[in-house]
Amino acid sequence: MPRTLKDNLKKNHLTGDGPPVTSDPSEGFDMVNPADAQLLDELRRAASQFDPPPPAVVEAARSSFTWRTIDAELAALVFDSGVDRPVTALRGEGPRLMTFSSSGLDIEVEVANLGSRRQLVGQLVPPQAADIDVRHAAGTTTIQADQLGRFRADAIGSGPVSLRCRLAATPPARPVVTEWVPL
Amino acid sequence: MGAEIDAHDLVQAAAAGDSHGWDGLVERFGALVWSTARAYGLSPDEGADVAQTTWLRLAEQLGGLHDGHDRIGVWLASTARQESLRQLRTRVADHADPGQEEPAAPAAATATPPEPEVMLWRVLRDLPEHCRRLLRVLSAVPPPEQEELAAALDLKVADVPAARAACLEEFRYRMASIGIKADAEDS
Repeated sequence: MPRTLKDNLKKNHLTGDGPPVTSDPSEGFDMVNPADAQLLDELRRAASQFDPPPPAVVEAARSSFTWRTIDAELAALVFDSGVDRPVTALRGEGPRLMTFSSSGLDIEVEVANLGSRRQLVGQLVPPQAADIDVRHAAGTTTIQADQLGRFRADAIGSGPVSLRCRLAATPPARPVVTEWVPL
Repeated sequence: MGAEIDAHDLVQAAAAGDSHGWDGLVERFGALVWSTARAYGLSPDEGADVAQTTWLRLAEQLGGLHDGHDRIGVWLASTARQESLRQLRTRVADHADPGQEEPAAPAAATATPPEPEVMLWRVLRDLPEHCRRLLRVLSAVPPPEQEELAAALDLKVADVPAARAACLEEFRYRMASIGIKADAEDS
């Protein structure tokens, strides 16, 4: 909560013709006029009262730190049919398709909804065996991709998911992790 | 807290494995990420997914953010916006229940007039979308920097002051039209 805002306002807001007052330093904007600053102050109080970040959201943000991976290659989400397909496409006509891409490996994933659970069916390109950690809210589920690079995970909870692929290649390669995507 | 938490130091500490640095980032920017998701009309559950995804993405990319550390708030606001838009698109694709768009301010008791904060929140909810969105992000505590607000809304930084002034004016006009003087309490 801004601390000096009110003090600044009391001197100026009644007349509104004083010189512009520099707002609270935490405001970050220069030269907010006093009446605007006060209105924003009230909005912030209302937001803090009616819609603050829920404790569970703050806790999830904190614990996100424990999911970071050291020395892994990031595979970026380059296609998501849930977002990238034409707006005119018929809705709900199939599973969601996603492609993650890193320099040496693409990961294609099909996501089907089974009630509140998600089923993942995927393919590593180029095809190869790997251990795949499916990282999600409830923890980590480890599955195997076969020699043809095919893998499948059932009953993953909804929410953000990331795959960490530990390739069976020799010589050993760095693991590849996908960007987190909510499913 | 200091007037300016040094985000650059927090990012460096977190990237080096210091969880206190990370917690400092969550404290400084948690409300910005949450407010951005809510500003796009996401339900609390959807907003929670967007917020968590945004933070997980940052955790994953901490090691790769070699430059622009002081732009971390911009990165977070931009990522939260993109993930909010993704939620909206997949929601439509899934036929999902659009959910509760705005937090309901407590229902008015019929006998007593609502608290000023309640009225204020209702006026905010009924603003045109671009203003509702802008003021919701701007309502984050601690307040976002201009560049962060621009990233959350996909505006040019140079356009932010005018957009903000216009939305505050609209807000004040609507408050006045239902008989509330926005700054009456200090008079």
